[in-house]
Amino acid sequence: MKLGQAFKMAFKSINNNKGRAFLTMLGIIIGVASVMAIVSVLMGQNKMTMELYEAQGTNKVTVSATLYNGTSVFDDLYDYCLYLSSLGLADGVTPNANLWDVTITYGTKNSATMEQSPQVYLGSDQYSIVNNFQVDQGRDISKIDVDEYHNVCVMGAVAARNFFDLTNPVGQQIRINGTPFTVIGTYVEKMANSDNSYIDNVIVLPYTAARTLGQDLYMSDFYVKASSSSTADEVVTRLTGFLTGICGDPNDWNNNKGYFYAQNEQQYINQSNQAAAAMSMVLGGIAAISLIVGGIGIMNIMLVTVTERTKEIGIRRAIGAERKSIVAQFLIEAGMICGIGGIIGVIFGTMLTLLGGKFILHFTEPLWPTVTITLGALLFSVVLGIIFGMYPAIKASGLQPVEALRAE
Amino acid sequence: MLIDIENVYKIYNEGTEAEVRALDGVNLAIDRGEFVAVVGQSGSGKSTLMNILGCLDIPTRGTYRIDGQDVRELDDAQLSHIRNKQVGFIFQGYNLIQSLTAYENVELPLIYQNVSAFKRRELVMDAMARVGVAERYRHHPAEMSGGQQQRVAIARAIATHPPIIMADEPTGALDSHTGKEVLRFLQELNKEGSTIILITHDNSIAATARRVVRISDGRIIQDQEQEVDWL
Repeated sequence: MKLGQAFKMAFKSINNNKGRAFLTMLGIIIGVASVMAIVSVLMGQNKMTMELYEAQGTNKVTVSATLYNGTSVFDDLYDYCLYLSSLGLADGVTPNANLWDVTITYGTKNSATMEQSPQVYLGSDQYSIVNNFQVDQGRDISKIDVDEYHNVCVMGAVAARNFFDLTNPVGQQIRINGTPFTVIGTYVEKMANSDNSYIDNVIVLPYTAARTLGQDLYMSDFYVKASSSSTADEVVTRLTGFLTGICGDPNDWNNNKGYFYAQNEQQYINQSNQAAAAMSMVLGGIAAISLIVGGIGIMNIMLVTVTERTKEIGIRRAIGAERKSIVAQFLIEAGMICGIGGIIGVIFGTMLTLLGGKFILHFTEPLWPTVTITLGALLFSVVLGIIFGMYPAIKASGLQPVEALRAE
Repeated sequence: MLIDIENVYKIYNEGTEAEVRALDGVNLAIDRGEFVAVVGQSGSGKSTLMNILGCLDIPTRGTYRIDGQDVRELDDAQLSHIRNKQVGFIFQGYNLIQSLTAYENVELPLIYQNVSAFKRRELVMDAMARVGVAERYRHHPAEMSGGQQQRVAIARAIATHPPIIMADEPTGALDSHTGKEVLRFLQELNKEGSTIILITHDNSIAATARRVVRISDGRIIQDQEQEVDWL
């Protein structure tokens, strides 16, 4: 018998028994849909996390140092970071500090009455390079602004919108704790996703302006943007060497000079990636178990079908069907039930993924399942059908024609 | 010889107390073009004989040659091919597949022969026209009378133009008029050259055959030629 004919027969048999076929498929449909939705939503979430990291600047090294006697390490550490930059290991260096308990006003607008008050950061002229900001309107903070204590600021897109709506903020004056600061520029919006708008809700001042504000900030943290992911490790090594000389070994319990850390942010990203992968495995695995249960359901129904259709098998054998034709018929039928179930599952899985993207992850763009997971789930369900269809199919073909014919 | 069985036994539960000798040393040779009626009471072993002749069952002992080929040397695929190409079965209970239409039932042996769809259509419609059920081709067995179902079953048996037709009580479930038509049709096929083996318990039905083989308790007790009652 030709394969095309076998497919036609299988389709006909499913078509003759739609209700039962659908109930059989249900396990596969639920299994495929849940595997797809769970894995896709987790992957979407991970992608979102990665985008968040990327938006905040890649290859960033965080460094912080403190001496227990109270002496500031700021100047020495800053100089050393700039030295690393001059060697070509880093693209930019900025102090990393923010002001707490600040009130920002512009006209009648007051940060205290805002739903989300902006974060005020202190940075160098390289703040935007390190943190992946791009100037939209006006200009960035310059070295002169830093060196000469200019009371200027650059605003992130969300902060600018909150204070100025549609008017051009450049040249306007805002007051931070009463002190006037001139807005010299704005940054391009990085995250359109409303959940992460805080990234753009910022006001950046030259770090030297902290003195003008009268806040006695103890600045000891820096961001160093390494020139590549490979130099990031070297930057960490060098900083560790340099700071061990000043603060002593941070892992030594008897060290009472000081404490420091220098870490490559890529480590966090890797860890978060691994955690997400493990999560996908566990939840996807649970959903896959439901798929296997669905496969066992198919085996049950196929066994019932074989018993019910013993007479038909006998007739087919009597008029010349070979054993392998009967096996093919039942295998294809099981594979087809699973395949159709898989396709319906993929449709539901795609819908669930879209809903998950919208209501769980709050994505503005639709979240589509990847091709890999879609084809993978589909293939898995067909293979499952063939595996669980094998036993009933072999059982069906094993009957002697005369015995099968006797069945009623 | 087209069909040649020598010393064939079919024994169930051999060696136990429940041993049943359905066939107990049967010898039978049937030539091409013969019309043979195998007559016996129920339990005489006549259906077992037909099952073995039709390669639906294998003998416990003894040799069976069909067209010179020993069936014990054949594997499942080869036996399937014999059933498919050499033999056309007509059963008492029609044995049509209920989920298929009349057309699809008749088509089935041709599908297993890998005949092309175009050629199948021709052969199926020819066979159905021949037995007078062509206009019912889209109906399912449940929508047809017993006589019509048996005609569809006959169409299925002759669609492949097999050299041998085996009919097991083909009139058993039919009224006398329809039964007569079926028997007349078998005679017609025999005149055209088909070898017919007719299994029955009814002597008046056996009268339609040239040769009568009587079977009782698994043995052949009589094998003779007779005047044919042409219908």
